Amino acid sequence: MATELDCRGKRCPLPIIELSKKIKESELGQQVLLLSDDPATAADLSAWARMTGNEFKEISADNFLITKSS
Amino acid sequence: MITAGKYEGQHPLHPKARQILLDAFDQGWADPTQISSQGRQAQALLTQARESIAKSLGLKVAEIELWGEPELISPIAIWGAPGFGTAPFIYGATERSEIIGMRAKSKQSFEISVDLDGAIDLELLTQTLQPNSIVAIQSANIETGAMQDLKAIAKAVVAQNAHLHIDATASGVRFVKPSYWSTLHFDARSWNGPAGVGVFALKNGARWSNPLPHTKPTRSPNSFSIPLALAAASALENWIIDEAGNSARLKSLIERIRNHVKQTIADVDIAGNAQSTLPNIISLSFLNVSSEQLVAALEVEGFSVASGSACVASSLEPSHVLKAMGLLTHGNMRINLNHDVQDGEITKLLALLPGIISKLREN
Repeated sequence: MATELDCRGKRCPLPIIELSKKIKESELGQQVLLLSDDPATAADLSAWARMTGNEFKEISADNFLITKSS
Repeated sequence: MITAGKYEGQHPLHPKARQILLDAFDQGWADPTQISSQGRQAQALLTQARESIAKSLGLKVAEIELWGEPELISPIAIWGAPGFGTAPFIYGATERSEIIGMRAKSKQSFEISVDLDGAIDLELLTQTLQPNSIVAIQSANIETGAMQDLKAIAKAVVAQNAHLHIDATASGVRFVKPSYWSTLHFDARSWNGPAGVGVFALKNGARWSNPLPHTKPTRSPNSFSIPLALAAASALENWIIDEAGNSARLKSLIERIRNHVKQTIADVDIAGNAQSTLPNIISLSFLNVSSEQLVAALEVEGFSVASGSACVASSLEPSHVLKAMGLLTHGNMRINLNHDVQDGEITKLLALLPGIISKLREN
């Protein structure tokens, strides 16, 4: 079961900062469902995943499923 | 000096160009198309400036036109290419928005993606190219400094005998012209010349027709300012004299920044690689940092840097360049070094940066 992180209405870089904090507290393999309507989030998530070694999937508009992988 | 802004700010004019500009404005100018003696004098000086600019750019005088509104050169160059509108229009994903915007005027347009270093996908370009294509590619990108492999691109384009437009506004003379090209765009600001003068070049033998309304055969509205044109020519002459030494010095400073940041700050995305990036530009994106706060913190310390992050660009959309390259769009700052930058300024910046970043990350 993924933990929900609702960042709707928050502008960059807040969604990524809050996600980073959440992932830091999570166990390996744990999932976070990020809700974000900031136009920079999708692009930043792919860079964030590349830099931190975590995985993410855009499941629908403004909904991203992140898996702690490192 | 470290600068910021659209063309990363306008650098100060070269002192010799400044003198020419002031003298020229003082003197006042007759219309060079009139046959009065003052008109002839204006024409002679302008001819000299044109010859000097062409020579400095490695072009023939007949190939260049001066423009008073440089931003229009690329759109007009593309618009006037044979068949534009119905022919396939192909451009790189990191081109300037004036060029990307031309897709609205074309029935078929293709965006060529770039890799993490900003280089366009040559294979995709080759597959997309058709004999009547119009290709627009920048020699380098103003935000990241990423340079394109124009030799390889030109080889692909010439194989189809297609139109190749090169936007050299970011690189200025800091690139090697491929042997094949059709139209070129330079901005005098790139060699510390004045704003408001651009150079449009049409390769000898290339097909192009002026899309603007005109009755006489002309390739430019010729509405540029003569004093600015003279200053642009002088700035370019002086730029070229010192270019090799200046470039090498700036490149080593940029390398110092690149290495120091890599060693002292974690989670940073640095655009491009040292081999294929302009010698004066570096773009850094710090994870979990607000660029608005970063730019403000550096401002307090006397550094004026630009940013491609949405919160600084006063738009919701982040930089299309960072996005296309797959780089982090937030926490971005870009540094553009002018010739007069002191080694001490970089030392100071590098000493401050790790502390600023860790403080911003704590917030």
